[in-house]
Amino acid sequence: MIGHIERVRNIGISAHIDSGKTTLTERILFYTKRIHAMHDVKGKDGVGATMDSMDLERERGITIASAATYCRWRDHEINIIDTPGHVDFTIEVERSLRVLDGAVLVLCAVGGVQSQSITVDQQMKRYRVPRIAFINKVDRTGANPFRVVQQLRTKLGHNAVAMQIPIGLEGRFQGVVDLVSMKALYFEGENGETVREDAVPDSLVDEAKKYREILVDAASVFSDELTEAILEEREIPESLLNDALRKGTLSRELTPVFMGSAYKNKAVQPLLDGVVNLLPTPLEVRNEALDMGRDEIPVELASDPEKPVVALAFKLEDGQYGQLTYIRAYQGTIARGSTVVNSRTEKKVKIGRVVRMHADQMEDIEAIPAGYIGALFGVDCASGDTFTSPGTNLTMTSMFVPSPVISLAIVPKDNKAQINMSKALNRFTKEDPTFRTFVDQETNETIIEGMGELHLEIYVERMRREYGAEVTTGKPRVAYRETITQKMDFNYTHRKQTGGAGQYARIAGYLEPCGEADFLFENRITGGVIPTQFIPSCEKGFRAAMEKSPKLEFPITGVRVVINDGAFHAVDSSDMAFQTAARAAFRETFQKARPVVQEPIMKVVVETPSEFQGSAMGLLNQRRGMIIGAQDEGVLSSIEAQVPLAEMFGFSTVLRSATQGKAQFTMEFAHYRQVPQSIAEKIAEEAAQRKKSAA
Amino acid sequence: MTLLVSPARPGKILFLKDRCRHMLKKEFLTHHPIHNAGFTSEELLPPPGFGAVLARAGVGKTAFLVQVALHAMLNDFDVLHVSLHDPVNKIDLWYRELFINMARQSGMSRVDDMWQEIMPHRFIMTFKIDGFTVPKLEERLTDLTVQDIFHPKMIIMDGLHFDPSVREKLEALKGLAERFSVALWFTAHIHRHDGVTGGGLPVSLGPVSDLFDTLILLQPDGERIPVKMVKGPPGKMPSGRLFLDPSTLLIEKADAAEMT
Repeated sequence: MIGHIERVRNIGISAHIDSGKTTLTERILFYTKRIHAMHDVKGKDGVGATMDSMDLERERGITIASAATYCRWRDHEINIIDTPGHVDFTIEVERSLRVLDGAVLVLCAVGGVQSQSITVDQQMKRYRVPRIAFINKVDRTGANPFRVVQQLRTKLGHNAVAMQIPIGLEGRFQGVVDLVSMKALYFEGENGETVREDAVPDSLVDEAKKYREILVDAASVFSDELTEAILEEREIPESLLNDALRKGTLSRELTPVFMGSAYKNKAVQPLLDGVVNLLPTPLEVRNEALDMGRDEIPVELASDPEKPVVALAFKLEDGQYGQLTYIRAYQGTIARGSTVVNSRTEKKVKIGRVVRMHADQMEDIEAIPAGYIGALFGVDCASGDTFTSPGTNLTMTSMFVPSPVISLAIVPKDNKAQINMSKALNRFTKEDPTFRTFVDQETNETIIEGMGELHLEIYVERMRREYGAEVTTGKPRVAYRETITQKMDFNYTHRKQTGGAGQYARIAGYLEPCGEADFLFENRITGGVIPTQFIPSCEKGFRAAMEKSPKLEFPITGVRVVINDGAFHAVDSSDMAFQTAARAAFRETFQKARPVVQEPIMKVVVETPSEFQGSAMGLLNQRRGMIIGAQDEGVLSSIEAQVPLAEMFGFSTVLRSATQGKAQFTMEFAHYRQVPQSIAEKIAEEAAQRKKSAA
Repeated sequence: MTLLVSPARPGKILFLKDRCRHMLKKEFLTHHPIHNAGFTSEELLPPPGFGAVLARAGVGKTAFLVQVALHAMLNDFDVLHVSLHDPVNKIDLWYRELFINMARQSGMSRVDDMWQEIMPHRFIMTFKIDGFTVPKLEERLTDLTVQDIFHPKMIIMDGLHFDPSVREKLEALKGLAERFSVALWFTAHIHRHDGVTGGGLPVSLGPVSDLFDTLILLQPDGERIPVKMVKGPPGKMPSGRLFLDPSTLLIEKADAAEMT
């Protein structure tokens, strides 16, 4: 570690699937001399990219888990997290962005701003991450980087401005013109490692001047000095322009756009210059923690290694030496041998081995000072826990964790597989908050829940490979839920006399639909008709009843419960009696409040060559899909639709065969919507069948 | 108890929820300013008519047509919105915002269900302006109708440049409107420096005005934007009955005092 925090950059690389994030990271590592040979994601040498360290990642050519590494560039230390592009692994992107100070948004020069780029951009906005953009694949047929810059403006609302223009396009792409220095940059040598500066080619002088003017104009908003220089028609020094661009980037009001081709080893080095010049140091990012001792008041953290420790465990991994916990230190220093407190469990933790990660390799270090990312061994915690110095009662703000939308029943093949499966599930649920598991009491099956078919498929495969747990899987099940559509009063008395002390509780009020939360409980009891100590029992009873609907056994959401009357008995009333009364009151009233089944609706975006647009729309329509629109982007078209998840199983195969394998789609959860009557009947039949077979 | 239904007058099951939705929609329609002014969107431009809304940039051409489209959608007609400059999400936002504002103005809450119900009546298609051709639009439209996905009764063509070469494109579109029996609305951008023809039309539109059945001009006048019908079905819409509120871009009906 170089020890100067102003020379540290913590950045993430995120983008739409197949935009070339991992390839770009591989080039960055090569040019910064972290690795000495480059391998491609699905390369013929079969080695796979350095950051795709899991066998599964190398086989499939996708990034599943975000991987951390670091490198040095121009005397600066860059900590990089390469994140998955597939939306099923979105939590990996969330937690990376949570701990990063800046990001590189990679876009494809042909595909432009695609659906997942929009999701990633929203995530970056959520965590207020300043970013620069890199338009990759400028060497591909159909590449048009200026169209992508325009899309950044129109589709994402960025104040995007080109930092470079390409010298040649598609197959003739040779290098870039740097609009700050007004020099042409060529990338020579076997792997493009030698950057040759030259004069701007005559054919591009006018275009370069035009785009430089746009760049200078955009930057001038952030610097009075630059504005003065423009007005006085003075020569603009590079440093002045860079400072203004940096200011704009840090305030997230400007997105500088670089371009190149990572695969063809062109223009990656200027991007690294951009990371160093334009993205923030840990000192320039405002980080806040919540003071648990003072009503969760936000407290600003200082990136000072001498102050009390505040660090966030943002990712867990099961390594060969036990649990590996990825840590971002925000304040203070986490040193080997020191003691910190896990603010969730309030348990003291002694720090053992401290390491820095480079994909699946590690390097032992003494400490992780404020502003750095590292990893700890042998620390028992969950993903998202905060570690602080003893006596500091702070916690980092939480991460956004989406709810699972799909589930799958898994059955171990034998007893050994059963034991290994339990181990694996225990580990996976700790690592990934979007992956959940439970045992269905009725069918006795183990159910796993996640964000999509691929998400669950990967975990089942990991179970087999990493834990030797052979399991058979059932048909994927959609996470239906129920809600009520009308207000209904209840008045229920629970009375039981079985010898000894009896049970008595009366509870009255009403249920009503509520759109703003899953469950709201309101106590309007006056005059102590239900004693205060039993009110939480009532709430507990209602909550328990909402876990499973009486008939279809789906979770119930969107209900407001108001209690306004009741009665108790001095001897026979108890916590248990009120819980039972609440459960029974809910069950009885729920059926009268016109319950409806809701299903997850997915936002599906199909990207297809224009000639297959009609077939793709037909496929979506057959699946109860509602097509919002079709965007014609020249050779490619993208169709956006809302489709029930239940209809999307196996869609990739059908889409591939209908489009000669040329179309791809992304899918993410949009919202819940009431199912049509005919489908509701089918669901009810299936639920009854399931119950029958379980009995 | 057995319910006896006379064979002569077969019974019809009334689903209360559907009925409630239907009534809400009806109420929404009665508040719609176009309806209030005594028109239906079909009367404003019957298929296969050709209509255009003319205004300078930012005055509210798209907003006006989106409200006409919403009126048609509330009447269960399919509307195809073709944009040559904005992405799908932006157009979707126009509809959503104007629908919510219209609901708010009508004092109606809980219109989510209604929105979900009318949404399938809208289809957004975007083209890059230089990549747009009439045969391409026809191909897409055929895809939709042949597969029974969508049958538009109205097309909104947003962002077509009315340059001197536009006549050829308009004639081809006229043919398309007839073949598919749709009403075709255009947004026509006029410039500050455009002169006016004898008929009160901007000069840039003069050479193609014969192709249009309805022409509506939005020209800011003080605090409001009057909706002026320059050309239209005779006796259908006297100018000055409708205004566009510049703050909300909602169509409003002028009160009697203003009209006199």
